[in-house]
Amino acid sequence: MNIRRADQFTFWLFAGPALAGFVAFSLWPMLYSLWLSFCQYEVISPPRFIGLRNYIHLFYYDAAFWPSVKVTLMFTLVQVPLSIIAALAFALLLNQPVRARGFWRAIYFLPSILPQAAYAVIFGYIFQGDGGLLNRLLALVGIEGQPWTMSSDWALPVLIAMSLWAFGYPMVIFLAGLQNVPRELHEAAHIDGAGAGARFRHITLPLLSPVMFFNLIMGVIAALKVFDLAYAFSVTQNMPPGGPARATLFYGLNLYQQAFGFFHMGLASAMAWLLFLFVMVVTVINFRFSRRWVHYEN
Amino acid sequence: MLSRLRDILPWLAVVILAAWGFWWAGYDRKPDVVDGRTEITWYVMISPLRDLYEADVKEFERLNPHIKVRIIWVPGSELNAKLKILAAAGQLPDLFFTGDVWLRYLLPFKRDITDFVLRDAEEMGLDDYFPEILAAMQLDGRYYIVTESMNLSLLYFNRRLFAEAGVPEPDETWTWDDYVRAGQALTKPGTPGNPGVWGSSRVEGWWGEWIIYVRQSGGDIFTADGQRCLLDTPEAINGLRFYLEKSTKHGISAPAGFEPINGFVNERVAMIVGGHVNYWLNYNQKADLDWDVQLLPAGPVTRKGGELAMAGYSVSKTSRHPEEAWQLAKFLTRPEAVARIVARGSLSVRRSVAEAQMRDARPGDRPPNLAAAYDQFQYGQPIPRHSHYIEILLQIVQPEIDRMLLGEFGPEEAGRRAAEAVNAFLATFHAQQ
Amino acid sequence: MNRRHPLASFCFYAMLIGGALIMLLPLAWMLLTSLKTYPEILSQPPAWLPADPQWENYRTVWDGFAYYRLFLNSCFVSGMVIAGTVLTCCPAAYAFAYCEVRHKALLFALLLSTLMLPAQVTVIPLFKAFAALGWVDTYLPLIVPAWLGGNVFGIFLLRQFFLTIPKSFIEAARLDGASEWTILWRLIVPMSLPAVLTVVIFTFLWSWNDLFNPLIYLQSEELVTLPVGLLYFIARAEQLTGGSIGQQPWHLVMTLATVMILPVIVVFAIVQRRFVEGVAAGGVKG
Repeated sequence: MNIRRADQFTFWLFAGPALAGFVAFSLWPMLYSLWLSFCQYEVISPPRFIGLRNYIHLFYYDAAFWPSVKVTLMFTLVQVPLSIIAALAFALLLNQPVRARGFWRAIYFLPSILPQAAYAVIFGYIFQGDGGLLNRLLALVGIEGQPWTMSSDWALPVLIAMSLWAFGYPMVIFLAGLQNVPRELHEAAHIDGAGAGARFRHITLPLLSPVMFFNLIMGVIAALKVFDLAYAFSVTQNMPPGGPARATLFYGLNLYQQAFGFFHMGLASAMAWLLFLFVMVVTVINFRFSRRWVHYEN
Repeated sequence: MLSRLRDILPWLAVVILAAWGFWWAGYDRKPDVVDGRTEITWYVMISPLRDLYEADVKEFERLNPHIKVRIIWVPGSELNAKLKILAAAGQLPDLFFTGDVWLRYLLPFKRDITDFVLRDAEEMGLDDYFPEILAAMQLDGRYYIVTESMNLSLLYFNRRLFAEAGVPEPDETWTWDDYVRAGQALTKPGTPGNPGVWGSSRVEGWWGEWIIYVRQSGGDIFTADGQRCLLDTPEAINGLRFYLEKSTKHGISAPAGFEPINGFVNERVAMIVGGHVNYWLNYNQKADLDWDVQLLPAGPVTRKGGELAMAGYSVSKTSRHPEEAWQLAKFLTRPEAVARIVARGSLSVRRSVAEAQMRDARPGDRPPNLAAAYDQFQYGQPIPRHSHYIEILLQIVQPEIDRMLLGEFGPEEAGRRAAEAVNAFLATFHAQQ
Repeated sequence: MNRRHPLASFCFYAMLIGGALIMLLPLAWMLLTSLKTYPEILSQPPAWLPADPQWENYRTVWDGFAYYRLFLNSCFVSGMVIAGTVLTCCPAAYAFAYCEVRHKALLFALLLSTLMLPAQVTVIPLFKAFAALGWVDTYLPLIVPAWLGGNVFGIFLLRQFFLTIPKSFIEAARLDGASEWTILWRLIVPMSLPAVLTVVIFTFLWSWNDLFNPLIYLQSEELVTLPVGLLYFIARAEQLTGGSIGQQPWHLVMTLATVMILPVIVVFAIVQRRFVEGVAAGGVKG
């Protein structure tokens, strides 16, 4: 009995700040923003309840909503698989016995810890249409350059390429997963005559599947929320946010514009909640599907 | 006892450091009264005139010892966003830089300064301002801004390129056809090691150039009451078509996305329609750039349609020191201040300064044809004063124009789509007005 | 093990080195560009090395842009955030790992659910609240959440790690009469240094690179942190060249980007082995 009470006291003392923070910085804002999404709130006057009008406006009347959804979905569908494949490929590579393996791993990991604003600057300069590095290199071999960052066809692929540079995080997670694949299994299979490809398919991949799943979930959530990169990109290109013809108007960027650019805070809250619901749905779907292909060690 | 102390010491250090940290993080860095003086904040855009402004502030503080000015510099791209964030946080600066375009948009944040203006009219030299500028300072007869600078849409051209190509310089009778013909004569394809020259720039993005063509064709963006969008009218479409055909048909402008950056300064572009007076400073810093201005070429219906806009300072509605802010505003826009800005390369909002500028013009001053710039006044039109103007243009109209330039559809379709989207927006957000 | 076929070895090294080049090339280019003069940047064909390294660019940026202040501001914010994170996440993780309380699992699940919450959902109410408190244009909105267990990922990581410590240690210490607080800070935390270090490093990186929060909460020039400063610099860079270029002075922008990245690289170089291992150890278990 005494231990119970002591435990309770300790728990609330130790976890109290964290739980208080949860209520103050997550729970309350979440609920309040849900309320705001049903209001018209333009900052200069108090919020005014208008029911579903914000949502209706987004779905039927807002010119930027569906394009931003499209841009974000396209980005996610392309970037996440590419990122995971690159991360896996290089994790396999860096798992091999090489001299100074830690050094190589550090190099591959480095770009992913750098600030997104800096990327946008560096790659913005490389991909600039008029006088950018890439176009000048292409001119050397006689290929005419594209206005990469100013072209509505190429701006999004350029951004995808930029974000792929940071596959370090999922790569390291894969590395960790690879450590967990017991050597003995590989050796036993090798003795049994299985080639490298078969070993990969039947031993490595299944044992990696929990890790792959983790990377998939994290990757999708991050891709749907993208803001830093898109915003820094538009600033460095001296373009209005969203690029030419809304080519890089990410959902997160559009949300920021509505909230802090035009001060339609009620509308922005509605957008935020739609994003949240979508993330939840996608995650749940992923979890459901995971039963098919993820093998947990039991 | 000692060991107890040793246990507590690190935690004591943590507590003290944390307390200091929170104090440093949160203390009020913007007190109203600093060493006996009233502090006012002045929110201004980063510009090459920074040194002039800082000198002015020092002089102002010397003349008004009881006032201290804290300058908040803001990059132009963040100008309005930051202002609104500050407003939302209840921290509006006392005096802020703004333009007449944003007059209605930012109206809730602006103090009605009619009482100050009428009281100090003689000291300010109110009748020294051009009448069009005076009108731009007001909304429904009440004053909200004090003007410092202005912008007129003009035709800019590079005299050296014209001379080299043997094309006669633009004059005050020019029409779109003359403009196109000259542009075609001036356009030269590039060679390895020598990028080519385009007859004219085409300003992409939401500020200005296509609006000129729409208006010169007899159309406009909104109806007079701002209730409906007119971009689907034949006149507007005609303007959009000319804008598009500068590259697709007449070949005088670069295709979409290939516009040379700072083309006029780098002499890759021979003419600019519209432009901005703020760039005169940049042009004049390049010693060998031989540039000049002329009236805008006339469109099919009228020559009128270029922008007439002005920028200046407003006192914020919630300012606790409106009188001090007003004193600063007057100081910053006095004739000497305007004259100094004009001397660096600009147009004057005050008649006296304009006359002095033209009188004291020396050969070698750029632009030589200053008279044409002041002549353009009669052909300038203010930008529509719709409260959501910027959002509508940036968010709704411009993407359609982008897609037109990229060849996805023609000007009729662009006008139609833009008008449809704008009318939908007006319908849903109109309730707020 | 088995010897690798020379061809396979060649391919392997080709990929390894090729990949590393792609990773490092943009950074190298950034560094080299920061040392060039403006005309050199535009030269065709692109010059690889600067003809005459312009170390003065760093001086120009340092003088003209108060890098010193930006750096200190970033240090202050990151420092306070790290301190708050460690001081509140360790006890919270301890509580979730060792204390038997009803509904503990539910509370933990609630806490974890916030990992899925996009920041955009909470930002508007939080901004409104902070504005009402008068905290906008101070560092408080950036720091206070860290002191109230704002780093849920850290709590999660530490809890997982704490769970791997045999309970016998704790039982023994309790029998010895040590208070829970002492057990936490003098026994558990020292034993979990890799995990704690991982949390510290993650927190540092996130806080140092954070663009969004400083962007909306810090409005005064003298308060702003590095990522925001970099973006603002781009708007003002032309001033430093007196407008004589008529274009984006990329050499100066690259200089600022370089000095922005440098501390991160230095810290990373120091802790890299521990860090990569730490991520591996903590990121996947459980």
